Amino acid sequence: MENTVSQQEKLKQLTEKELNKPKFTAKEFKRQWVLIAISAVYVIYGIIFYYLPLIGWIMAFQNFKYYDGIAGSKFVGLDKFKFLFSDKTFLLVIRNTFAMGALNLFFSTVMAIVFAILLNEVRNRHFKKTIQTISYLPHFLSWIIVVAIVHDALTSTGIINELLLKFGIVDKAYPFLGDPNMFWGIVTFSHLWKETGWNAIIYLAAITAIDPCLYESAAIDGAGRFQKMWYITLPSLRPTIIILLIMNMGNVLNAGFELQYLLGNGLVQSVSKTIDIYVLDWALNARNTDYSLGTAAGIFKTAVSLALIFLTNTIAKKTGDERLF
Amino acid sequence: MNDEIALQKPLNHKRKMATEDIIFTIFNTIFLVLFAVVTLYPVLNTLAYSFNEGNDAVRGGIHLLPRRWSLDNYKEILFERPGIRQGFIVTLGRTVLGTFTALAANALLSFILSRKKFLFKSSLSLFWVITMYASGGLIPVLILFRYLHLTSSFWVYIIPGMVSAFNLMVLRTYMEGIPDSLEESAQLEGAGYMRIFWSIITPLCKPVYATIALFVAVYHWNAWFDAMLYNRFDPQFTTLQYELRKLLDSVSASTGQTSGTAVTEAAANTITPITVRAAATIATMAPIIALYPFLQRYFVTGLTIGGVKE
Amino acid sequence: MKAKKLFSLALAGVMAASVVACSVPGKGSGDGIVDMTFFAAMAGKEKDDGNEIKELIAQKTGVRVKESWLTGQDAGEAIGSIIASGKLPDFIDGGDGCIQLYENHLLVAWDDYLEKYPNLKEMYTPEEWDKFRQSDGKIYWANVFGNHYKQDTTTGHNGEAFWIQVRVLEWANYPKIETLDQYFDLLEKYAAANPTMPDGTPVIPYTCLCEDWKYYCLENAPMFLDGYPNDGCVIVDVSAGADNPKVVDYNTTSTAKMYFQKLNEEYAKGAIDPDFATQTYDEYIAKLSTGRVLGLCDQYWDFAYNIMGPFAQTQTTTDGTSYRLDEMGCDYVPLGLVAEAGMEQQWHSYGDELNQASGIAVTTSCSNPDLAFSFLSAMLDQEIHDLRFWGIKDVDYLVDENGLYYRNDQMRENWKSDSYKAKHTCEYSYFPQWNGLSKDGKNCMQPAEQPSEFLAGLAAPLKKCFEAYGAGNYNDFIGSKYCDQYAWYPLWSWSNGVSNETPGGIAWQKMGEVKHMWLPKVVMSTDFETDWAAYQQAYNDVNPQAFLDEAQAEVDARLATAKANGTA
Repeated sequence: MENTVSQQEKLKQLTEKELNKPKFTAKEFKRQWVLIAISAVYVIYGIIFYYLPLIGWIMAFQNFKYYDGIAGSKFVGLDKFKFLFSDKTFLLVIRNTFAMGALNLFFSTVMAIVFAILLNEVRNRHFKKTIQTISYLPHFLSWIIVVAIVHDALTSTGIINELLLKFGIVDKAYPFLGDPNMFWGIVTFSHLWKETGWNAIIYLAAITAIDPCLYESAAIDGAGRFQKMWYITLPSLRPTIIILLIMNMGNVLNAGFELQYLLGNGLVQSVSKTIDIYVLDWALNARNTDYSLGTAAGIFKTAVSLALIFLTNTIAKKTGDERLF
Repeated sequence: MNDEIALQKPLNHKRKMATEDIIFTIFNTIFLVLFAVVTLYPVLNTLAYSFNEGNDAVRGGIHLLPRRWSLDNYKEILFERPGIRQGFIVTLGRTVLGTFTALAANALLSFILSRKKFLFKSSLSLFWVITMYASGGLIPVLILFRYLHLTSSFWVYIIPGMVSAFNLMVLRTYMEGIPDSLEESAQLEGAGYMRIFWSIITPLCKPVYATIALFVAVYHWNAWFDAMLYNRFDPQFTTLQYELRKLLDSVSASTGQTSGTAVTEAAANTITPITVRAAATIATMAPIIALYPFLQRYFVTGLTIGGVKE
Repeated sequence: MKAKKLFSLALAGVMAASVVACSVPGKGSGDGIVDMTFFAAMAGKEKDDGNEIKELIAQKTGVRVKESWLTGQDAGEAIGSIIASGKLPDFIDGGDGCIQLYENHLLVAWDDYLEKYPNLKEMYTPEEWDKFRQSDGKIYWANVFGNHYKQDTTTGHNGEAFWIQVRVLEWANYPKIETLDQYFDLLEKYAAANPTMPDGTPVIPYTCLCEDWKYYCLENAPMFLDGYPNDGCVIVDVSAGADNPKVVDYNTTSTAKMYFQKLNEEYAKGAIDPDFATQTYDEYIAKLSTGRVLGLCDQYWDFAYNIMGPFAQTQTTTDGTSYRLDEMGCDYVPLGLVAEAGMEQQWHSYGDELNQASGIAVTTSCSNPDLAFSFLSAMLDQEIHDLRFWGIKDVDYLVDENGLYYRNDQMRENWKSDSYKAKHTCEYSYFPQWNGLSKDGKNCMQPAEQPSEFLAGLAAPLKKCFEAYGAGNYNDFIGSKYCDQYAWYPLWSWSNGVSNETPGGIAWQKMGEVKHMWLPKVVMSTDFETDWAAYQQAYNDVNPQAFLDEAQAEVDARLATAKANGTA
């Protein structure tokens, strides 16, 4: 029954979308002149503060020297990109960034939604508020502090090894921090630990917009709590989930500097180094800062990000979901 | 609210529902309590360090309680640094002003972008989405701000970050969930767009406004990089977090000088006690946490907007 | 009601903002003193406004300098953004970024002012000044560190060494330790006989920091073990004569293999901290602060200042006995180990190392460069120099009947306190300064080098240890061979700045990556020979020869310059 209803609804939405397609007529322009005028002001603002600095991208094709400026620096064509893509390490670094970004995106999203929904099921208001307040506190700790605690727990004498030894699961302290197989897991866990409560805030806000009537009628139909969560709460969160997913998709390659930098060490560098760390290693030389290399890496990241959001946005469009643009 | 629902349930379901409910509630409570304990630990640990004596804490091994009590850490960060006071004023100013301007700016634009019939809905959304991922880098931005006379000024904190695509999209998504019928009936009564924005959409958007306000306020409260970058030699525009960073960053990750042996005692810095770092963290967390309950009720308690739904 | 509250809150914000926006910096401050600014691309602690000695110096020199330091940025990034923002301080020490400032024509040449201010000129010999000359033949900055006036009064060994706790030496009745075998043998035996600390935690015979660039603690010992000084990146072999220096890679020598094999053995025996490869600097310091670590290899400044506080603290065990780590003999002394007994070593470099790549500079943003240079010159007036490093007479130091300066315990405590230093002391630590003998011929320029102050600061077991070996200070203790510095020394002042623009620079970066991964791996290996071979293979794959060639070229170039100036 639920299915037919949602299918009908979807159909209705689709036709509505068709009807709502903007028509570029003089009348429509006149009717919307306020909206157009205001958004034009915003566009000017956006061009100045976001698009103008992109002139700096020219640096990626130069051997940029500050004193010569963008106008005077020597053009080197695609040399900087060649440098990056001919280096095996850079390819490795892309893989690492992507893997950690994707793991983080997936688990953060799932955990935040689960947490928000479960919290929403709590009836005692004080309990609910307390849990929520506690859960978002670690967001305010710096990575330095969180990493110090994670580190402390995982050393050979740390709490984790102590427990493993006590229960006889291992007979020798396990070197978690020096094991490349563990690194991505530790990074993902640290992220979840610090940010789940914070990430859940958006979903909690979205849950408030759900019409209580929906729950009431579901209750009358005999829906249990899980059914209500599954058939009402989750679908109502769908637009928010999709939008955040698309946006975060574009941030997959931006997912890492400080945490990986603080948590990494020589033994795990083949899995810990991210694009940003690579740029730090190679471009930030105090005597001769290579702005061009950093810019080239930045352009690469932007290109991948935009490709990813276009892709996901198109998928969302196809499935009739909310989309970003 | 849920209790009322329970009353309306058909009787034959009641017993089954009740057991399912109880089991669920128990597991849910256990899960959430565990979750809270795990997330509270780092905060309590930081709190314990912040009240511990510095030299003693260097040894590590402090968990939930301080080993040697001391208030010196708070004394050091709160009372002994002249920059802290100025930093606090600036940060307060930018947080309040920045939150209001950003909320207003983002809300208005997302209202426009959420109008289904808006002619440039898709193209302008894309225009803003791109800004999230494309950045010219530090140096071009610095040069631009220098020409706009935004460096060495307070306004560099307010103006450049005012419109953010992320916040726009979150707001837009929420606004799109509001039924069109409201807008249509208002239009029939002759209300203009601005009137619809202010009298119909805004009151319904309180939860998402609260969310965005929280995001922006936290951003402003924690900001220090812009203070360093644009107002490095203008102590009157310093921010709280920048002052604290300066206090904390006395060990640098890499300095050329020190890889030789030419460092005298005066220049070789001892690491800032982890305790001062902890105290600084707690001290800056406190005000923003105090703000939280005021915003929290908008998205935890929930708003009843039934009746407006189709 | 609520709207009203929100409105008033907003109003408060706007007002706070406008207060901020309108407040004008107190330049000049009306007392005839000029305020100037200084930035160091180094970490440091800011002084409080109204710092007492800073005010005294301001009254005497007419200049008050606000110092700011590197925060949350890399030195290069900071210098880059300062250049781009267009707002420079009056004085700057750009660290390795100095060259960028010069290339952007942002610095004022010293040449004319050197003639005008003999204090400044006196800092270096003409030959030494020549080392600072840039491509246009002018001098733009001067390094201020490690420069001795009249005589070398160094008491400390600031450089690298294998350090050992004095209680270990005392327990073994002060033996002569020359080789790695003897060193680890002693650490093991001591740990076997004294396995725990008073609080019951086990001792750690040896640990080693591998974090980031501080992995020199692990990687560069082979250079010293072969008897060479700290050139940082390579050995410069002069066996074919000082005129014919030859660059040698210390990563592939037989000594390197011997050293890592030894570490591998010790790791297998459990004598090396199992967490050595993954520990952070904070964890390393935490470990050292408990006194549990018997031995380590590091440069003095990297660990010693951070553990002084905890070592001097009284601790109580659960059964009520109290103890202090420094009184227990947990302080460290440096050992100048060598590959084979009987060899000479140069762990300690006598004389002044000159890092010509960085130093203090006056920028073109300074509206009165002459005043700036007169301030730099005034920094070296003995009266002001004493104020900077000794403090105010009778408040920070006392003078005995022979005119010698000394401090009492309270004064020493004060000078260790961060808050006292922030509000009272003003070292201007990156401004021109002297080490060595004061112009009065009696005292030392800096208290740490004053023999009486040095000894007064030592705990009893440390003093006893010095006596047992007949050493007056750390410097004597390590017993390095006295050697004149070669024209190219120290070569790290070059290798710190190699860039990705040359094949050698690329190789250098990659060599670091390979070593970062393989060296800990080799130490922890259960099959040393195989892993060592794999490491050497990986190492050779990144073309270290390209780097060595560039190092050789730099050595030759420095030698040629020195010859041209007639100083080689």
